[in-house]
Amino acid sequence: MRLSFDRRIAVFDAASHAVRSYFRSQGLREVVTCVRRSEVALEPYIEPIEASRKWLQTSPELAMKGLLARGSGAIYQIAPVFRRAEIGAMHREEFRLVEWYRLGAATEKVRRDVEALVDCVFDAVADVLELRRRRVSWETRGFCELVAETTGLRLRGDEDAAALQEIVTASLPELWVDPPAQTADVERGTRDLAAWTAWFSHWSDLCLEPWLARDPNRRVHVVEFPVALAALSEVGPPIRERQRPVVAHRFESHVGGVELANGYRELRDATEQRERFARVTRLRELLALPPLPEPAQFLAELRELGLPPCSGAAMGLERLVMLACGLRELSAILPDSLR
Amino acid sequence: MDVSELRKNAKIKLDGHPYVVTEFQFVKPGKGQGLYKCKLKQMITGAVIDRTWRSGERLEAANVESKKMQYLYASPDGYTFMDNQSYEQVDLNEDVVGDDKHFLLDQLECDVLFYNERPVGISLPSHVVMEIIECEPGVKGDTATNVTKAATIQTGYVVQVPLFIKVGERIKIDTRNGEYVERVNS
Repeated sequence: MRLSFDRRIAVFDAASHAVRSYFRSQGLREVVTCVRRSEVALEPYIEPIEASRKWLQTSPELAMKGLLARGSGAIYQIAPVFRRAEIGAMHREEFRLVEWYRLGAATEKVRRDVEALVDCVFDAVADVLELRRRRVSWETRGFCELVAETTGLRLRGDEDAAALQEIVTASLPELWVDPPAQTADVERGTRDLAAWTAWFSHWSDLCLEPWLARDPNRRVHVVEFPVALAALSEVGPPIRERQRPVVAHRFESHVGGVELANGYRELRDATEQRERFARVTRLRELLALPPLPEPAQFLAELRELGLPPCSGAAMGLERLVMLACGLRELSAILPDSLR
Repeated sequence: MDVSELRKNAKIKLDGHPYVVTEFQFVKPGKGQGLYKCKLKQMITGAVIDRTWRSGERLEAANVESKKMQYLYASPDGYTFMDNQSYEQVDLNEDVVGDDKHFLLDQLECDVLFYNERPVGISLPSHVVMEIIECEPGVKGDTATNVTKAATIQTGYVVQVPLFIKVGERIKIDTRNGEYVERVNS
């Protein structure tokens, strides 16, 4: 099924309105920040698009954290973001992230926001398409618990690259692909980042997504990520998976096997953040990716102004609308992809 | 070429043989590595294989030349095309033409692809206009635009069309996905 032109316009209008009403009802303020930036958050596998000596943002995270550090209080925005060469049925080089931050909040509260946003956008779209409104409950599952359930592997999530390889290859060699950057001259942190990212991508594609997609209505938060995959989230003792020594307070929310949102308890330590960026820079070097500057201004804000304790998440607006329409292809819903 | 340049219909060389990408899927965990999952058709034998690449990998493009030719007819030898300048004819077998056969109308101009001077495939115009030869009558009063019915075009191919389409009308079809685009008023 593909949506008619008029319905494409109508579902996006309904969805944006639903998102704004929800946040307003929760007391978050809508903000605007520049899309073209002189620094972007460093990621090994997210490529920014250059725009006359600057970059188009890959997410509004650094800009919004700048506002939080200056005392904005709880905020959200629907931000256009750009990621080079991501083109597929559920990927576009340009899309919109609904991104929000709550002060002093645990990720738990932000996950409730994810659930509420999915409900209110699904309802708004159902009304436009004259579909039946319905409620589906969410499951919250620990990362290592899901690894065990989908593969039988017992991981703690703090293994180094060599230990991870040993555990995986001992029982499931077909689930191992040699990661880049595993030579002795590479620092341990960078090796771990490379190995965990490669393994996570492989596991996600072969095991997690098919498992999540078995029920197209299933809604799952995957919580407590391995420490090497912390990205910009805080690392600390687990809340859910008590047997693990330390976890990243990062979660991903999936609907019917489609990744929809990613959230963090935000890292506030400038030194730790700088080290993580350095690992990414080193990995990007080894992968021969274009060099990106260290986000010096963002690090200075963390160090000098300080980020208040906060949690945040980002959700893909187009994917959310697509799922609300019961579809699994962006070309079926985007108003300007209809020729 | 970089793996990120892969698209449907891209021509690449693998183990010394030319392949065309017939299905292409890009998947990627938000912060993870991208995977390019492809079905590839060997351009000479028609054999189909699955391959997955990861972001950052490199591929060799196949050096395929294309020539504008006109489709003449189908015969037990396959599908015959003619070069309008030299009148030279070539036959392409069914494996090579594949699903594109659904959109071959007499005298259709398209690109015939050659690898080492051997015809290995065709590249259709992105859209073709076809006549409906058979379909159910539409239901009056049903204006919901997402409701469709099956209709058969001249080549025997069955396509989903909106309810208002009638036998004898001409429609535009996207040859890349085989889907109905719009009614053509002549």
